[in-house]
Amino acid sequence: MLNKLALSGIKNRLRDYSVLFSGLMISAAIFYMFMSLATNKDFLVKNSPSSVTSVIFGFGIVLLAIITLVYIVYANGFLLSMRQREYGMFMMLGARGSKISRMIFVETLVIGTISTLVGTLIGVGLTQVLSGWLIDTLNMQIKHFNAFYLPAVIYTLLFFVVIFAIAAMRNGISLRRTNVLKLLNSEKQPTRIKKVGLGKLIQAIIGVVSLGIGYYAMLHLAQGVYLYLATAVIGITLGTYLVINSLFSWIIKVLKSNKKYSMKKLNNFTLSQLGFRITDYTRILSVVAMLFALALGAITTGVGFKGLITKTTDSNNYYDAVVHDMNATQRKNVSKIDVKSQATYEYKTLKGGKTVVFNQDQFKQHNLKVKDYSKSINNVDSKVKYLNYNFSTKEQIENIQLTELWDQLPGAFEDLQAKVVSGDEYAKINAKSSTLTMIKSKDFYKNISAIKKVALYDAAHHYSSPFGQKYQNYQLASGIFSGLEFMGMFLGIAFLAMLASCLMFKILSGAASDVKRYEMMRKMGVRDGWLSQSIKKEIAVLFLIPGILGVIHVLVGLKMFGPLLPHPYEGIFYPFTGFFILYLMYYVITTMLYQRIVLKK
Amino acid sequence: MNVVQVKNIEKIYGSKNEKHYKALSDIDFEVENGEFVGIMGASGSGKTTLLNILSTLDKPTSGEVTINGKDVTKLKGNQMADFRAHEVGFIFQDFNLLENLTAYENIALPLSLQGRKSSDISEAVNKIAKKLGLEEILDHYPTELSGGQKQRVASARALVHEPAILFGDEPTGALDSKSARALLETMEKINREDDVSILLVTHDPFSASYCSRILFIKDGKIDQEIKRGASSRSEFYQEILDSLGTFAE
Repeated sequence: MLNKLALSGIKNRLRDYSVLFSGLMISAAIFYMFMSLATNKDFLVKNSPSSVTSVIFGFGIVLLAIITLVYIVYANGFLLSMRQREYGMFMMLGARGSKISRMIFVETLVIGTISTLVGTLIGVGLTQVLSGWLIDTLNMQIKHFNAFYLPAVIYTLLFFVVIFAIAAMRNGISLRRTNVLKLLNSEKQPTRIKKVGLGKLIQAIIGVVSLGIGYYAMLHLAQGVYLYLATAVIGITLGTYLVINSLFSWIIKVLKSNKKYSMKKLNNFTLSQLGFRITDYTRILSVVAMLFALALGAITTGVGFKGLITKTTDSNNYYDAVVHDMNATQRKNVSKIDVKSQATYEYKTLKGGKTVVFNQDQFKQHNLKVKDYSKSINNVDSKVKYLNYNFSTKEQIENIQLTELWDQLPGAFEDLQAKVVSGDEYAKINAKSSTLTMIKSKDFYKNISAIKKVALYDAAHHYSSPFGQKYQNYQLASGIFSGLEFMGMFLGIAFLAMLASCLMFKILSGAASDVKRYEMMRKMGVRDGWLSQSIKKEIAVLFLIPGILGVIHVLVGLKMFGPLLPHPYEGIFYPFTGFFILYLMYYVITTMLYQRIVLKK
Repeated sequence: MNVVQVKNIEKIYGSKNEKHYKALSDIDFEVENGEFVGIMGASGSGKTTLLNILSTLDKPTSGEVTINGKDVTKLKGNQMADFRAHEVGFIFQDFNLLENLTAYENIALPLSLQGRKSSDISEAVNKIAKKLGLEEILDHYPTELSGGQKQRVASARALVHEPAILFGDEPTGALDSKSARALLETMEKINREDDVSILLVTHDPFSASYCSRILFIKDGKIDQEIKRGASSRSEFYQEILDSLGTFAE
C-alpha cells in the first residue's frame, strides 16, 4: 500500500521528476562521453603527438569526477526535499521509520540506476552522432575511435552506482533521524540569511590566494605532474568556491547599501533574491564556472588545432594543385575548381634524362610563385611570403630547385639539372616535351573535394613527388592534428551540455518555491513587466558569475597547452564568440522556462 | 463620500462546457470614507472571491466596483498593478512578507515601486514604524520575528503608501490571542486617528467586533447587515454571536 502511495506521489510531481531525471541522465551521458575518450589508450596514443595529452586527460577525469559528484549530491538533495513531506505524512499516519527509510533507499537507488543506464545509452548515441558529425564536417581522420567502448561503459556504471548507493544510504539515515513534524513542514522551513561580515573578507582573500596557487601550479605542470596537478585542481576548485561565496555577497552588500540605487523600483528585491540565492547556489555556480572553463578551453584548443592544420598546409604549398600533362579528364576535373589563376609551363627533357629545359618566355608571361626563404624561418610561426620569379637572374635560376614546380619533375631528387632559355632557343631544342599546370584556387578549403579529385588522378597516372601536392600535405597535417582537434571539440560540446543542464537544473528546481514570492509581489501591485525584468537581471547575474570566472580560468589555462599549440591565444576570438552565443541561448531559454513557471497567469 | 461602491456584482466560475458555479450574486454595498467594515461568512461563502474582486486580483462576471472614484473592473494589465500599488493596502493571514528582505526593506517596497526618493522613503518608513512600534526590529529579517511582529510589519507595509483602503484577509488567523488583540487595537486606532478606511474579511467574531459595521455573506449573497452604533465592543460582540446563531440556521 505504502509503495503504491509513494508511486502515486511520483506521478503527482512528474514535472519535477522529469527535471531530475533529465539532469541525471545528461550527467551520466556526458561522463560516458568523456570516458569513451579518456579510457581509450589506443585512441589517445594514435591521435596525439605528445605525451601531454594523457596528463591533460587525467586532469579532466579528476575535475569531471568532482563536478559529477557535486551534481549528484544536488540532485539527491532535490529528491529528498520533494519527498520529505510525503514521507513525513506516511510516518504521521503510523508507518515505521525503518520502513520509510527503506523506501527512500530503494527509490534513490532505482532512480539513480535507471537514469545511469539510460544516460549511458544516450551517451553512446550522442558519441556516435557527435563524432560522426565532427569527422564529416571538419574533414577529420580519426583512428581507433568507437562510440561504444566497453571499459568506458563499465567505469561510468560503476562510478554512478557507487555514488547513488552512498546517497541512498544517506537519505535513508537522514530521513529516519529527522522528526516527523519537521518533515511535514519541510517546505516551510525558513532559510536563514547569513550576514556579510569579516568572515567573508577573509574568505575572499583565501579564495583569491588559492586561485593564484592553482594557476601557478597549472602553468608549471612540467615541474612534477602529479603534485602540481593535484595542487591545481584543489587550488582552482577551492578558489572558485570561495570567491563566489564571498566576493559576490560582498558586491551585493555594497550595492544594497547604496540607497539611491537599491530603493529604486525592484532593485532591492532583485539584489536580495540574488543574495539569498548565492548563499544557496555557491556550489552549483562553482561547478558551472569549472564546466564553463573546461568547455570553453576544450573548444578553443580544438579550434586552435584546426588552425594548425590549415596553417601547416598553407605554409607548405602555394599552388593548390599541379597537373602533369593535362588531358581531357583532368581538364574536366579542373573545371570544377573555382580557379583564381592557372599557368602551364612546358619543359623538354634532354637525352639521358639528366637535364630539363624551360622556356623563359612562359615565366615572363606568368611569374612563378616561390617561397621567400630569406624571410620565413618556421613554417607555422610566421606568415610565408612569396616572390614572383621570371628566371631572368642567375640567383633565380639557381633557386629553381626550391620551387614547387621542381618538386613535381620526375627524377627531381636524383641530380637533375635545370636550364632556362629564351623562347627562340627553346624552340630549336629537339627533345620530348611535357607540361606542368600549376593551379591556384580562390579558396583551397572550399574547393577541397574538386582539388582532391585532380590530385588523386594526377598521383595515380603520373610522377608522384615525395613532397606531394598541397592535398597530400593537408592530409598529412590533418592526420597529425585531427585527433587533438576532435578531442577538443567533442569534449567542449559535451561539457557545454552538462553546464547547461547543471545551471538550468538548479534554477528550475528552485522555481516552484519562488512562485509564492512572485505571486505576493503581484498582489502588492508590481507590474508583470517589472517582475520579468527583475527575473532577467537575476538570472543574468547567475549566468555571468560563472561566465566571468570561467573565462579567467580559460585565459590562464590555455598557456598549459604551450607544448601542443605554438600560439594558444591566437584566433581565440571565434571559439569565444561562438561559445558566448550558445551560452546566451541557454540564458534565454532558462529565463523563458523560469518565467513560465513563476509568472503563470 | 464612499471609498468603495459595489453595484450588483456577480461571479460565475466554469467555462462554457463546464458546470457553472455561482460564487457571488447581487452583491451591493458601499464603504464610506473612514469606515471600518467587516465581512463575515463561513468557509466557501464567497468572502475571498469578493475580496479578490475588490482588490482587482479577480474580475466579476458582471457588475461594477468603484474604488476611490475609479471603476476597477475596467482596468487592464499594468493599470491594474498600478492601481493596487497606489490605492490598496493588503494584510494577509500568512503575512506574506518577503523572507529575503529585512523588515525595513519589506515596508519600503511599496514606496520603491512608486519611484519615491530614498530620503522620502526613509522618512515614511520611520514614521509608520514608530506608530506601530517597530523601530527596534527594522533591521531584522522575517525569520527572526514573532508572528505578531511579522503581522505588524505587514501592516506597516500595507499602510506606508497611505492607500485609499486597507484590505485585511483574516489578518489575525495565524496569531496568538494577545498578538491578535494588539493588532486589532492598532487597526482600530489608525482607523480612528488617521481616518484610514478598512475592509476586514474574517470568520472570527472577536475580530469582527472591532468593526463599525458587518456584512454577513451566505451562499454568495449578502444575507444580513448589522451596525455597532453607540454600543460597546463587548455588546457588539454579543450581537455578532447572536446574529451568527440565527444566520447559521
